[in-house]
Amino acid sequence: MKKLIVVLMLYCSTSPVWATDAKLENIQVETSVQAVERGVDDLMNNCHSCHSLKYIKYRDLATFGIDKKKIDEWRGDQPIDAPLAGLMSDEAAMQSFGLVPPDLSLMTKAREGGASYVYSYLLGYYNTPEGMTGNHIFPETKMPDPLGISSATEPAQRDELRKTAHDIVSFLSWAADPHEQERHRLGYYVIGYLVILTLLLYFVKNQVWSKLK
Amino acid sequence: MKNRIIKWIDQRFPLTSFVKHDLTGYPTPRNLSYWWNFGFLAGFVLMLQVATGIFLAMHYKADVTLSFDSIQHIMRDVNYGWLLRFMHATGASAFFLVIYIHMARTLYYGSYRAPRELMWWTGQGLLLMLMATAFMGYLLPWGQMSFWGATVITNLFRATPFIGEQVVTWLRGDYAVGDATLTRFFALHYLLPFLIIGGVVVHLVALHTVKSSNPSGIDLAAKDNIPFHPYFTIKDLYGLGIFLIVYCIFVFFLPNSLIEPANNIPANPMQTPTHIVPEWYFLPFYAILRSVPNLVGGVVAMGLSVMVFSFMPYLDRSHIPGGAHYRPWYRVTFYLFVADMLVLGYVGYTPPTNQSIVMGQVATFFYFILFMLLPFISKAEERWLIRRGLPPDVEAMIAGEAKEKSKLPQRRRRGDIT
Amino acid sequence: MAESDTLDDSNRRNFLIKVTSVVGGAGAAAACLPFVASMNPSSDVLAKATTEVDLSAIPEEGVHTVAWQGKPVFIFHRTQEEIKAMEASDGGFDPEPDQKRVKRPEWLVVVGICTHLGCVPNKEGPGWTCHCHGSQYDDSGRVTRGPAPKNLAVPPYRFIAADKIIIGEA
Repeated sequence: MKKLIVVLMLYCSTSPVWATDAKLENIQVETSVQAVERGVDDLMNNCHSCHSLKYIKYRDLATFGIDKKKIDEWRGDQPIDAPLAGLMSDEAAMQSFGLVPPDLSLMTKAREGGASYVYSYLLGYYNTPEGMTGNHIFPETKMPDPLGISSATEPAQRDELRKTAHDIVSFLSWAADPHEQERHRLGYYVIGYLVILTLLLYFVKNQVWSKLK
Repeated sequence: MKNRIIKWIDQRFPLTSFVKHDLTGYPTPRNLSYWWNFGFLAGFVLMLQVATGIFLAMHYKADVTLSFDSIQHIMRDVNYGWLLRFMHATGASAFFLVIYIHMARTLYYGSYRAPRELMWWTGQGLLLMLMATAFMGYLLPWGQMSFWGATVITNLFRATPFIGEQVVTWLRGDYAVGDATLTRFFALHYLLPFLIIGGVVVHLVALHTVKSSNPSGIDLAAKDNIPFHPYFTIKDLYGLGIFLIVYCIFVFFLPNSLIEPANNIPANPMQTPTHIVPEWYFLPFYAILRSVPNLVGGVVAMGLSVMVFSFMPYLDRSHIPGGAHYRPWYRVTFYLFVADMLVLGYVGYTPPTNQSIVMGQVATFFYFILFMLLPFISKAEERWLIRRGLPPDVEAMIAGEAKEKSKLPQRRRRGDIT
Repeated sequence: MAESDTLDDSNRRNFLIKVTSVVGGAGAAAACLPFVASMNPSSDVLAKATTEVDLSAIPEEGVHTVAWQGKPVFIFHRTQEEIKAMEASDGGFDPEPDQKRVKRPEWLVVVGICTHLGCVPNKEGPGWTCHCHGSQYDDSGRVTRGPAPKNLAVPPYRFIAADKIIIGEA
């Protein structure tokens, strides 16, 4: 037991998360098909014009259980095997923003803070006194406020946007790690099995060693 | 039938006698604690890494334009590819954890002392090969951390006298880390584990020549040795069960905690991430590298910090049996060393600030001072312990074991105690 | 080490050890499954298991070769004379009526791999000739001269529109 604690401590002490200076709002992403479906919908409307998700193909969405009709609507005449490529060419993006918008397939895994970072970032826009928008989480960002949180003043409207951001992040989390739920499910079985096996081995060990004078 | 086949083989190959001598009948001290499980665990993790690695290599592409995508292909499309990849990535950390505990046990119990110097040195060689394998494997996903880690570490060879730049270019096969570097790292990452397996065989042959050390630090008489099978096979398997539970918690529930977020961004030779860190198992050595404000000095200090372990059989001049258990001064030194490693690890993780640099320099200084003072500490401790006398039960045990041994001097020397 | 320290057989074969061995063995076997599964076609390969072909561009007498699961598939637009000739015979070594080999008589869809050792036959005159070992097939893809033992295989396919087929789905 002591060893296990030591082992865990050693592991944990090496993986703290270094977030940005601004405080992130810690969220728990949703994993349900409905939430992810709302998330793709919102992403298609708000992000997809500039950002690609090149590791996600339309068929992956279908496999996950998202409404086939909606997928057909999104993909238009692209084949079902096509990735969610962005609609903006790299050159056009360079002209408008001075950089190519990053691919979003791995976004929640590629930032310290993960899903909470992306969520806080999407909602981190505010109006500066000069009439520009700034971002608390990532001040150097070149992306204009995508959801319009900086100009939303009504509490109801802000709540609505928070929900949208939450859905988008839920989808992005799924996109970054599509096998997560399968992994957790399998993990419970594997660890359950290992606990039983280890107990058995412990009893056998005691039995064998008890023969020793 | 079975007997006839075995007999046929035995006439041509020493199968039965090998199994009897080195597996079932191998005499093992009965007082080994669970700290002696880690050698077996290291062997198990090695096999696990080789198995997962071979299957990953069936899908991986060592090409700068394809490798990042091929990892995503493994993670998303290949059947159970995510499992193989997380097992392999977590396995690297598990390997170092197990090896570091194995080494700490050797240091604590003084197992490196005569006649086991060769075991210690082959182990040291295995550690270096393991580090090289891990470092080269880390480039393969071609993420930001992969790229910049390889860039920084290959640049260490600039410290080579006179031909530093040429050596670095030669290692990379390019002016910067590029396609040639990736392909050769993949080739070597696939090769080295098999050299490690060869090294493990040497390590085990040495072990079976000198036999296992044990917590008492005294060579036990025949009556206190028991056959490896079934006693230690079952004990090792039980330990393996515990290990696998911890390992699987990480593989299935926390695999991303061991992968730096920046490595999920494809390598970009034009932009260094703001905070680059090596994997946790290199942090203490990385901190030592950073603590010396001079390229050559830092590289020498880092190399020395790994190699200094080799001198342990000579640095420890005490003849008092047993490890730190019977040696209070050495025990304090050991724990100071472990604490210093943890401090260095922490310093290696934090971004360099004035405060952390000073902390790293103090810890680095302390690291080497501990090794340098060890000959004096151990000698003084020996004198002190002899003057004061060992605890009566230890004295009694030494006497008892010596008496047992004198009964069978001939047979023991021949090694056929069974 | 006294002899009594080693366990005798009756002890070793006791119930607890048997159970543990079975449980451990089952786990070790199960642990091999992901490794075996990883060598099966991955999901992106499986997604390419079907091929859609537009037939409108193929003129009479025209042969179109498309890739299906990495294999060549011949799509042959047959004339009325060829259909008649083929329906009149049952082929050679591997008799099979022409009607069984086509969904619509004007379209012959066969896997273009010689059933002998896997070369791709060439369209020559009426039928196909395999240049590796000299096998010949007629305009129904049936073998008329050895060494090929069997007719060219008909892949699963169906018409999804008047002039569109999908290969790989029956």
